[in-house]
Amino acid sequence: MKELFVLAEHRQGELRDVTFEMLTKGMELSQKTNADLTAVLLGHNVQEFAKKLANHAKKVLIIDDARLENFNAEAYQRVLFHLISERKPSLTLVGHTAFGVDLAPSLATELNLPLATDCIDLKFEGEKLVVIRQVYGGKVNVKASLRKSDSYILTLRPATFEAQETKPQGGKIVKIASPLSEDITYKRFIEYFQPPAGEVDIATADIIVAIGRGIKDTENMLVVEKLAEALGGVLACSRPIVDKGWLPNDRQVGTSGKIVKPKLYIAIGISGQFQHISGMKNSDLIIAINKDSKAPIFRTADYGVVEDLFKVVPSLTDKILEEKH
Amino acid sequence: MDFELTEEQMAIKKAVKEFCEKEFTPELALELDEKEEYPMALYKKAAKLGFTSMRFPEKYGGQGYGVLEDCLVIEEMCRSDPGLGVAVTLGTLMLPDLLLKHGTEEQRQKYIPPLCTGEKISAAAFSEPEHGSDITRMDTTAVKSGNEWVINGSKEFITNATVADFFCVLCQTDPKVTPSHRGESMFAVDRGTPGLDATKLKGKMGIKPCVTGSLSLSDVKVPETNLIGELNKGFYYALELFDETRIAIAAEAVGMAQGAFERAFSYAKERKQFGSPIIQFQGISFKLADMATKIETARLITYKAAWLFDQGKMDPMITAMAKAYASRVAMDVTDEAIQIYGGYGYLADYHVERFHRCAKITEIYEGTTEIQKLTIVRYLLKRM
Amino acid sequence: MNVIVCVKHVPETAEAEIAIHESRKRIKTEDLVFDINEWDDYAVEEAVLLKEKLGGSVTAITVGSEDADSTLRKCLARGADKAVRLTDKAFEGSDSYAIAKILYKIIKDLPFDLILTGAQAGDDGCAQVGVVLAELLGIPHVTMVKKVESVEGHVKVNRELEGGLEEIVEAKLPVLLAVQTGINEPRYISIMGIRKAMKKEMKVLGLKDVGLTEEEVGESGSWITVEKMFIPPVEKEAEILTGGVDEIATKIVETLRAKGLI
Repeated sequence: MKELFVLAEHRQGELRDVTFEMLTKGMELSQKTNADLTAVLLGHNVQEFAKKLANHAKKVLIIDDARLENFNAEAYQRVLFHLISERKPSLTLVGHTAFGVDLAPSLATELNLPLATDCIDLKFEGEKLVVIRQVYGGKVNVKASLRKSDSYILTLRPATFEAQETKPQGGKIVKIASPLSEDITYKRFIEYFQPPAGEVDIATADIIVAIGRGIKDTENMLVVEKLAEALGGVLACSRPIVDKGWLPNDRQVGTSGKIVKPKLYIAIGISGQFQHISGMKNSDLIIAINKDSKAPIFRTADYGVVEDLFKVVPSLTDKILEEKH
Repeated sequence: MDFELTEEQMAIKKAVKEFCEKEFTPELALELDEKEEYPMALYKKAAKLGFTSMRFPEKYGGQGYGVLEDCLVIEEMCRSDPGLGVAVTLGTLMLPDLLLKHGTEEQRQKYIPPLCTGEKISAAAFSEPEHGSDITRMDTTAVKSGNEWVINGSKEFITNATVADFFCVLCQTDPKVTPSHRGESMFAVDRGTPGLDATKLKGKMGIKPCVTGSLSLSDVKVPETNLIGELNKGFYYALELFDETRIAIAAEAVGMAQGAFERAFSYAKERKQFGSPIIQFQGISFKLADMATKIETARLITYKAAWLFDQGKMDPMITAMAKAYASRVAMDVTDEAIQIYGGYGYLADYHVERFHRCAKITEIYEGTTEIQKLTIVRYLLKRM
Repeated sequence: MNVIVCVKHVPETAEAEIAIHESRKRIKTEDLVFDINEWDDYAVEEAVLLKEKLGGSVTAITVGSEDADSTLRKCLARGADKAVRLTDKAFEGSDSYAIAKILYKIIKDLPFDLILTGAQAGDDGCAQVGVVLAELLGIPHVTMVKKVESVEGHVKVNRELEGGLEEIVEAKLPVLLAVQTGINEPRYISIMGIRKAMKKEMKVLGLKDVGLTEEEVGESGSWITVEKMFIPPVEKEAEILTGGVDEIATKIVETLRAKGLI
């Protein structure tokens, strides 16, 4: 029977969430397309991971090799090239993560298989594989079809497909000998680096007031700081603010920053790219202030204000201070 | 005939725009408007990028462009903020232009390069307490004494007075000749020369970051080599300079009008009254249509004046028209911008009132609108 | 260090309203302002910084229409030495894979130690071109680059991972690096830069010059084909608070009070 591959992603001793999201989506697809859902696990001493994956897949292929302990696109690619060429899965799912973007495009090129990246939905229409992707920062969706092939590779956007608990699948764990014959010499993993933490840990805050690109200048930042102060909350931000150097990167909310779950999240001048959304969407109450009524943030927020932040925020701050007295 | 900017000119405009978007923050504009303080750091930054030396030759560290390219920079900066824009672009005021036309090579080498890099600032000291538009007689005198000239007198409304390192000072060197303007000469005077004193003038209506002041010169001694050009030709040199700098003032006016217009336009799209954005009311939308039309015409005549100058066909009548017209447009447009904002427009935080206050100067300095009209009529009479 | 930097001319859409074109295959771009892709802006700056430190040259390359000249000029004004624009009617409809193939055909014959690209483009967000290009060239690549240090014959690079974590990797030259935003502070364009840019070499090459056939580029040479574009369906929408600024503020305060947040 055909296989449907899900490439397990792990880092520093943990399987990453995106793996289970892909397995859930993969299960649904494998049933529809009559393929065996197969988790592919590359690493070193990862038996524990294999057991966990076996609960979610029909099969788990393990390739154990010390050279695979930490992610290295070159080593991973070499192994996967062998595996995919040999077993010809109908589809290989990879997370659209720092891991996936470093691996999938070169792997697809070497295998000469069509690839679509950062997909938020997918289905087979007959033989044809159709995906939905987001473009222009999430303002537009694209339905795209892949060039016809007997095997495809897709990267799936993290935190988009829900990982569901299913009854244990009791998947078969199959060890495969590592095809790596020599060391990868042209690229080497050295170490992980965790930038030093600042004074404020936004991940533990109950109230977060976050700013984004729409803030325009540092003067408006002061206005927002006052609001955060009035609420007894902390100031956080989306990526562009860190890129500009206006706030340190430990204040960044999103996939490349912190995942937060406060009781109140006020997003000011943040358009709502998915990288940011996935960092804050589980907040209890979300209020968004943005001039652009079509900003994607309004699809996540509970309450929205379509106004110039410069006008709303000071007024809101005053009212909150009044209320507190 | 070609009404389009070249690829290079568009790149210049864009470069200035990107600079202003980051550096001309509303915060800084409001602060310096209130404090009446010169944006020294901003001037130096802009100079390093070449924005303040557009019209000076590469040989002296300038950018080797013409007046038109200079106007593009001025317009874009004043569009971003009128006060900061004027202050920054007037940092290299007149002295280099004067020296390029009439100075000796030594004078050029000494004064122009440090102005281009932004290390130094220049000023032109023509106006006096008793002589504003009328510079046909100077009360400030320069008297020859051995190898030196001794200058005495006072100057008023001098842009950059308290921040400038170099001044070009218009003096009466022959008090007896008639008409008196045939006895005026230009001198270069350096800051720090004993007897030279500058006082800041406070309480201007607009362009507050551009510092203005008075100069007092008491027995200021400068070497003979500081005479610029020929003796007793100063008046003519000054008039000639105005033909160039007036185009720049027209560009300031166009930029200020554009900046106020854009703010009012986006406000009119957002501001809702009686259930709909106010731009949907003709009372507002017709205003905006008129404003845009006026700005476009002012820009066209300003660019034409600049183009003629750069082609070596400088036309004092067109220049005067450009300055008189563009400055009036700036006044009208900034006024209407406040009206569109209503009550908010009257507040500093909404910025358009600052544009209006700043716009007024363009009708006054470098020859009032009335002086421009005199010029226009004089040429009309000559030509028709 | 000879550096090639691949750039893309894209519409600025972060703060613009977007409408879908009648064909439903693209967006309407008439009223949009185009500029260099934000990630590429950082890539160009990094290329110039490396050149300033280590010597060598920087070549900027783009696949795009004539309009992309302004983006190339920007690269030249920033300090790139040469620019190449790859333009052909046949290139239209190319996806990341086809674009990487076009770039490959030109770059394979150029001398280089390092290729820089943005980690992704702000329009299609595919994050593919750099990595595919590296594979076609047979050189290593590192994506999501936050920091580059040049060591003898190597680069030492910080990659951005999730959750604020980074990893440090080393790669042998020649290598392709796809850079993440925030890696540096792109400099302002100077007038001196613009002046020099106008005198620098800018080559325009087409399908025949790169030695590809029509089938190898455009839609036929692509992995994916756009079937249609649409505005994302609304699954959940925020309750929009309306009224005057005061009224809105009052409504928010009431909500916060009701939830015990103040």
